[in-house]
This record gives sequence, structure tokens and C-alpha cells, in this order.
Amino acid sequence: MNETTTIDSEILRRYDRPGPRYTSYPTAPQFHAAFGEMQLRQFIARGNAEPIPRPISIYVHVPFCFSPCFYCGCNRVITRDATKGERYLEHLLLEIERIAPLFARDRDVMQVHLGGGTPNFLAPPQLGRLLDSLGRHFHFSTARDRDFSIELDPRCIEDGDIDALAELGFNRASLGVQDFNPDVQDAVNRVQSVEQTMAVIDACRGAGFRSVNVDLIYGLPRQTQDGFRQTLDTVIAARPDRLAIYGYAHLPELFKAQRQIKVAELPDAEGRLGLLRLAVERLTAAGYQYIGMDHFALPEDDLAGAQAAGGLHRNFMGYTTHADCDLVGLGVSAISHVGDSFSQNPRDLAGWEIALESDRLPVWRGLELDFDDVLRADIIQQLMCQGDIGVAAIERRYGIDFRHYFAAAWPALEQLAGEGLLTLAQERIAATSRGRYLLRIIAMCFDRYLQKPQTADSTARYSRAI
Amino acid sequence: MTEPRGARPAPVALADDGNELQFCSTCAFSSACLDSGYDKSRLKALHVLVEHTAPFREGQHIFREGDDFNAIAAVRAGTVKTYVTDLNGREQVQGFFLPGEVIGLNAVSRARYPCNAVALDTVLLCRFSFPRMATLATQMPGLQQQLFRLLSEDIGKATLLAGDFTAEERMAAFLVLLSRRYAARGLSPTRFRLTMARTDIANYLRLAAETVSRILKRFQSDGLVRVERREIAITDRARLEDAARNVLRN
Repeated sequence: MNETTTIDSEILRRYDRPGPRYTSYPTAPQFHAAFGEMQLRQFIARGNAEPIPRPISIYVHVPFCFSPCFYCGCNRVITRDATKGERYLEHLLLEIERIAPLFARDRDVMQVHLGGGTPNFLAPPQLGRLLDSLGRHFHFSTARDRDFSIELDPRCIEDGDIDALAELGFNRASLGVQDFNPDVQDAVNRVQSVEQTMAVIDACRGAGFRSVNVDLIYGLPRQTQDGFRQTLDTVIAARPDRLAIYGYAHLPELFKAQRQIKVAELPDAEGRLGLLRLAVERLTAAGYQYIGMDHFALPEDDLAGAQAAGGLHRNFMGYTTHADCDLVGLGVSAISHVGDSFSQNPRDLAGWEIALESDRLPVWRGLELDFDDVLRADIIQQLMCQGDIGVAAIERRYGIDFRHYFAAAWPALEQLAGEGLLTLAQERIAATSRGRYLLRIIAMCFDRYLQKPQTADSTARYSRAI
Repeated sequence: MTEPRGARPAPVALADDGNELQFCSTCAFSSACLDSGYDKSRLKALHVLVEHTAPFREGQHIFREGDDFNAIAAVRAGTVKTYVTDLNGREQVQGFFLPGEVIGLNAVSRARYPCNAVALDTVLLCRFSFPRMATLATQMPGLQQQLFRLLSEDIGKATLLAGDFTAEERMAAFLVLLSRRYAARGLSPTRFRLTMARTDIANYLRLAAETVSRILKRFQSDGLVRVERREIAITDRARLEDAARNVLRN
């Protein structure tokens, strides 16, 4: 596929509007407090009762960072106080001890992912205690495709850390880079040298990690074509197995740190588009495959293979080859996806800790998916992972007439078709090569909750499409 | 293609419903009564109460061990599990009853229910007063034969898995029998929902829960069945029957 011809500025500009990233459907704003601990317990038990219970995927959120990156919209706590990490770890161990016994013991853990914040805010011995506890209370799969992954801030990796992580069983790493340009780094308060970063990538390879991912961001303040091209070339030269290129979402009303960013220094719509186009061109020329929604991978990487085989899956951790696991989120603000339910832990440290100290599962809010939610989630998942929707298969599986069921979405879909972003056929709706960069715009047509009258802040809640 | 989590379940195993005057199509007695020239209105005239009960919800008990026995009941919709609790307090599953099948037959000899019966999902029943039905049977050879047949089947079901069979043989026999029982009620023999929990299946087959899953996974990778959450699709009937042959002997 020749991607270079497919970024159409006119279209992209028109659709550069806020939209969910669809790491889940329904999205988190739909979660409500009527779904609590009791409901989560019921969904876990229901899963255990299935003839072949699903395996487990574990996400652990570590919210701490040493310093604030101004672009960040994650749930995090800025501190240099290591005792906070220790206290947090103690509570994580409590949470593990409480939730793990609810799962049938033969439900293997296929995936552990540590995200943040900065997971390596915790020192390797602390991470060791975390994994040891997970391994004792859950059952780790011994399968070859078991993934233990960790997001790393290369600025706080010390000699020997990576080997220690490999020793603990980690086999995938994701490094935050964003941009190597010093002006940009200064503007976003994240100064990180190329040498530092390369040393960590090399250490991961040396320790036998199966893949290394690098995160970049376009649309940052002071970012220029030339500067970003250099960053891209530097990163590509290191040949990470996977690359994520996120568009910066400037939502200062929601994320306090972003108020430090000067709007005047942000690239305009045309500039953002140029940066994205540059990234796509450079990466495809270097042999990377576009996976969908900001993600690229080398053809020999598992993600590319899984996409070709139709086995790609998307969840809160991004893309994964482990479809159909129950996802257990641990830590402050973490989201679980158990059976047809979502549930989320409290977003504030105190709330999460108090729940654990009072012998409860720290469920703050959640949602039980109904038939319509499951159907739409399936469609959006197919779009995000394969870039198309198997209309005929959906009709058979759910016993619906697709055209009739989605009559309300049809005018919008036809408009997108008219603009060359997708093709509408009896059997299949497929994003065109041009539409593949606007998957979330297509997905939004199927989002029942967006079709309700929007509240004042619902447009501000989501980042822009490009 | 594999089914996604939460895909619409296979059609609920609810037989087409009868009314005051018509038998439900799955009724265990309709053929016996009709063959003898009795329709439902005649039964009513003979004071054999055919009483449709209010739905039982998942987990609700229909009768408990030791309760006075006064009625047998045909399942109209849903699945009923029967079990006893042993001296160690452990549950021992005795059987599962699908639409068209009759619960309570094992209570006849002692005038008390010898086990517990619990609804595994939403269950609808049709209750027959047993003393009246027994009286009627003395005048109605067809009904008597049908009662004997039901009693015999009940005994046969109870002893079927008593032999020294492998876990694979037990599991295969369980699936084949479910398939035949659904087929007998006019429901799909190749796609049905396992309404019972994994631990119930394991308990009934005298296997560990883990073993149930392990064998189903093997059946699945061998192409015999496809399992998606609680839905079972039998994809190679001949080989599944073959695996069950030692238990079923036919």
C-alpha cells in the first residue's frame, strides 16, 4: 500500500475534530457509580462458570513521575519521594491479594502490562515484589507468547535496571521519547538525550526483550518539519519493533499541566497535518506497517502478523495479540474489562487506598454492556484493528439487519463514502487507505452515546482526530 | 469465525407454549394422553391439575430434599439441576433437566423428594399432581406406559456414568446426550447453550473443573466442538459420538 498519496489535507482538516480514541466502547465517560464492587464480583464469578473460562490480562497503573511533562493527560502524581512508591506498592499487594482469589485458579495470566505515570518510578526490587505477588496469587501462563511489558522513562533507568527487569520476566518495553528536538523538549519540560534513549533500547535488546516500542508525539509546541524529521530518522535508525505516533491533544481545561504550554507555540492544523504526513511517509518508507490508530510495527513483529491473521485486539493498553482475555486493572484509576463489563478504580490515591484498607475491592464506577453495546463494541473493534467491518458476519452473529439496525448512522456513513474515506458494500464496510487515518471518525458513526445531545463539556473531553 | 464475547445467545430453549386446552409441544405426556384419546380438557375434567407455575429465577429452589412429594413437573423452559449435599457438606450434582423432561420421578417411592432441585436460569414448569396422575394411569394404558418409560429413563440416566470411564469419554457422552435430548425436543442438536456452570458439569461428571476445560479445549483444537463462552457448537458429530461410544454403547 502506498501511504504517501493517502493523506488528504482538505479531508483531514475537515475532520480534525474531537473524538474518543476507542480504547473501550462504551467509553469511560459512560461509566456510572451504580456499578460497584458487587457487580464486579458477579462478573468474575460468571466468567469462572464458563466451560472454558477466559485467560487473564493484568494492567498495573503506577501513577508517579519525577517531573511533569506538560503535554501529559494521564492520571499521575508528581513526586521525588520514594516512600510514596513503597506505600503505593503495599496497597497494590493488598489489591492483588483481594482480587486474585476471585478468579478460578486455572485462568492463566497471558499478559502483564505496567503503565503510568512511570512504572520504573518503582525500583527493580519493588517491581520484583509486585511480580512475585502477582505470580503467587494468579497463575502465570508458561506459553511462549506470554507478554510481560513495561512502559519506561529512559531518563530514570540506571545501569543494570533492564537486566533486572528481564530477570523478572519482562520481555517487552515501551519507551517514551515524544521528540528529540531540544527546543521542543524544553517547551514540554521533558529533556531526554538521544544517547540515554539508545542506551536503554540497546540494553533491552541485549537482555533479550522480544520487542521495543517507542512513543512519539506530533503537534507539540515548537515542533517543526525539520526537527521532527530528525527525530524520526534517529528513531528509525534504532529500528524499534513498534512505534506509536500520537497526536497531542491540547485540553488545558482538563489537564492542568497543559496550561504550561503556550498556545501560540503549537503548530496549526496545517502544521499538525504536515507532521503526521511526514511521520507516515518516513515510517512506511522504512518498512513499517500501519496497524491503525497511531500504531506502526515492523512486518516481522507479532502485531503485524496478528493483524494479517485477523487476531488483533485493542484495549486500554493499545493493540495486543491477546484477544478475549478478561482484563484486570490494578492501581489508582485502572480500568478492568471482565466479561461484558467495565469497571474503574478511584482516580484519586486516597479513595483507592481507603477502599483497600477497609477490605473492599476499590471499584469506583463501571458499566454492564447490553446487547447494543456489545454489538457496537464489536464493530468498533473490527474497525480499529482490521480497518473494516464484516457486515454479513455481524448480521449472522447478532441476528440483525445491519442497514436497518444502523439506519441512523447511514447518512453519515454515506457522506464518508462520498468523500472516499470508506466503501459501503453489502458484505463489508471498509476504510479506504485514506480513511484508515480517520478510523475514529468512522467509528464515531457507530457510537450511540455521541448521538445523544452533547453536553457542554462532552466536546472538550476528547482529543482531536488528527 | 469465532464469536465475540457476548454475541447473541442461541435461541432460548423454550418449547412453543401450550394453553389451557392445548399441550405444549414438548410436554412429556401430550403424546401419551392424545394417543389414549384424552386432550387437555379431558384431563382437567378428570381433575388432573396441569398447573403452569410462575417462573423460577436463577438460583431459586423448586423443591428441597425431604419436602413432601405431591407432584412431578415437566420443564417447559430453562434448566433444572438436582443435587444432594453429602455428609461433608459437599454438593453432589445428580442431573440436569431440559425442556420437556420431568423432575420429581425419583420421589415416587418414598413420598418425599430425595434431592434438591434448583433453577439454573429462568425456569418454567408444568406441575402434575402425582396421586391423581397415578390414578388416571390405571385407566389409561398409554399414560401408564409413558410413566414407566420416564421412570426407566430416569434410572438409566442415573447409572450411565457410573462406570470406569475416562474423562474424555465422560465429557463426550455428556455433550452427545445433551445434543440428543435437545434434538428430541425439536431444538438444535448442534448448537446449544450450556446453562450449567463449569463446576456443576465437573461435579456431575466426577471430574475437576480444570479437567472439564482442558478436555473441551482439546475437543476444540481437534475440531470436534467450538466453544464460545457458554455456547457449544458441535462441529464433528461423528468423532464426538465415537469418543462417547464406550459410555453410550450405541
